[in-house]
Amino acid sequence: MQFNPCMKHKLIRNSVRHFAETELAPIAAEIDRNATFPRDVIEKMKALNYFGLQVPKEFGGAAMDSISAAIVVEEISRVCAAVGLCITVHNGVAVYPFLQFASREQKDTYLPKLASGEIIGAFSLTEANAGSDAGSVETTAVKNGHEFILNGTKIFVTNGGICDLSLIFALTNTDQIRLQSSVFIVESGFPGFLRGELEDLCGMRANPVSSLFLEDCRVPEKNLLGKLGDGMKIGLATLDNGRIGVAAQALGIAQGAYEAAVKYAKERQQFKKPIASLQTIQNYIADMATEQAAARLLLYRACSLKDEGSPFGCEAAMAKLYCSQVASRITSLAVQIHGGYGYSKEYDVERYFRDAKVTEIYEGTSEIQRLVIARSVLSQMIL
Amino acid sequence: MNLVVCLKQVPMVTELPWDEKTGTLRRDLAAGMMNPACKHALEAALQIKEKYSANITAITMGPPAAQEILREALALGADRAILICDKLLAGSDTFATSWILAEAIKKECPKFDLLLCGAYTSDSETAQVGPQLAEKLDLPAAAYIEKLEINGRTLRVRRLVDNFRETLEMEFPALVTVSMENYEPRYTTLVGLENSFNENSVIILDAGALGINASAMESQGSRTKVRKVFLRKTQKENVLLQGTAATVVTEFLNKYQRKISAAIGKSIEEIKPVHENK
Repeated sequence: MQFNPCMKHKLIRNSVRHFAETELAPIAAEIDRNATFPRDVIEKMKALNYFGLQVPKEFGGAAMDSISAAIVVEEISRVCAAVGLCITVHNGVAVYPFLQFASREQKDTYLPKLASGEIIGAFSLTEANAGSDAGSVETTAVKNGHEFILNGTKIFVTNGGICDLSLIFALTNTDQIRLQSSVFIVESGFPGFLRGELEDLCGMRANPVSSLFLEDCRVPEKNLLGKLGDGMKIGLATLDNGRIGVAAQALGIAQGAYEAAVKYAKERQQFKKPIASLQTIQNYIADMATEQAAARLLLYRACSLKDEGSPFGCEAAMAKLYCSQVASRITSLAVQIHGGYGYSKEYDVERYFRDAKVTEIYEGTSEIQRLVIARSVLSQMIL
Repeated sequence: MNLVVCLKQVPMVTELPWDEKTGTLRRDLAAGMMNPACKHALEAALQIKEKYSANITAITMGPPAAQEILREALALGADRAILICDKLLAGSDTFATSWILAEAIKKECPKFDLLLCGAYTSDSETAQVGPQLAEKLDLPAAAYIEKLEINGRTLRVRRLVDNFRETLEMEFPALVTVSMENYEPRYTTLVGLENSFNENSVIILDAGALGINASAMESQGSRTKVRKVFLRKTQKENVLLQGTAATVVTEFLNKYQRKISAAIGKSIEEIKPVHENK
């Protein structure tokens, strides 16, 4: 069992950290305030392979192992969670289903462009009446010759405002008996694909989260991902993987807040000494350090199971549940350690605090993670 | 064209404690990184490679962990990497280091055209290894270069010395040390990082492989001994200027006239009227 990072993982962390600190740190607060997507930096990230983390080399990707990919997401999120969100959604839930379920033709058509970032992907499952209850999707896809006609509204789509392609979950009724969901590869240029206004959110403000409207949207038959009725299967497998990404993102936010809090505690003088010398603050710091270390091990365990080819859904849910909760606790403590300054936009911890909360909500709420974990535990013969 | 770039791994933080006994930095306390000026030297080599086509060998001396910066160099575009690693060589000063590097270069890359080093390192800042290496290999050399051009076997370099820009020419084989003025290092691609670990392209040489033994170290090794290391004490002072904005700015300009002039590189008299007119 190996608990320490290898040289490759250290070097990847240092390289991504250097990029994030140089390119994203100077703008992170501003793009959060103005809710702007940093297109210039995203262009640089495309050229450096951030959009093809685990895509095989034959399609132009970096073919990284899952711990490496998690480190990339952690390090970007440590500085700017909204950009971390862009790449984790693109890689984790838009590209991953192509790797797992796409036909050779679909892979050849889309993977090189996805890996280079020429097209940025989104994943559209959530609707007004279908969130945690993913089976209640109301968008429909009706076969018409060699096309499907899609109608419906998707909400809270990460990357929605800028995506060039989205995987759309829609109901199909091909067997005439019961409706089943299927997944469609929908390019933003297809007729009938419309975007809503950007959401005005509490955190992750630099990510263009929006609704997507499908109004008689015509999708070629060949753009069906997997088979008809595979929606639930593809959705669940994809979310298992996406949870590793969100866990990594949450951990990155926690790391950023933790570092800021430790630095501040050493500098801030009260009672004529640094507040880091006060036991109360030390207790906070000790808890932050411990929880973060535990969260990281849980995340990397899920990653290594995935790379081994073993089932990792339960471990990914554990990592997502724990990392997101740790992120919320650590960012809250980081604000507390900063006192009044932490509540001000002048300090980054205020942004980290807002960004952390949603990691407990998207890609399956903490409540859904517990459901996944409990189901898995209760189905096991040997505990 | 054959290029050799000498690299050094330095601690990522600037304020490391010293080992009181040996006078060397406690490098084990911080993560390592490629010395910034070395990164500029590597970038210069990469630009030569792109423009004229070349083969780049990256070389460093250090503990096994120093392999990390060689992998980084490979990720950035170096073709070959050499780590000189042996406990016998630990604690070498610049004199010994340049000698060991020279031995390794003679053995592993005898047909080099140009040797590039960072102008100085962020940890010890002696700026000596490059020039000493030129001396040991008997090469024409220029330190602190900002820019270089190659025309056949002639190298033309530009550098800033004592506030003068000078242009020098020399014939290959030659050595330059690169300043941080130009050659802004590129970022590593993730594909490059992955590839640098897939190939087994770091050659590891110990002292024996270079024909260096304990007695050679005795005669050719370190000539310097650090007698004392101390941290310079600095003191911060908070000064509160009070009054209207106009009076406070005037007072500030008067009080810190010399420091401001030094920082902005021109006389304060030029900006004072602008303020007073407002």
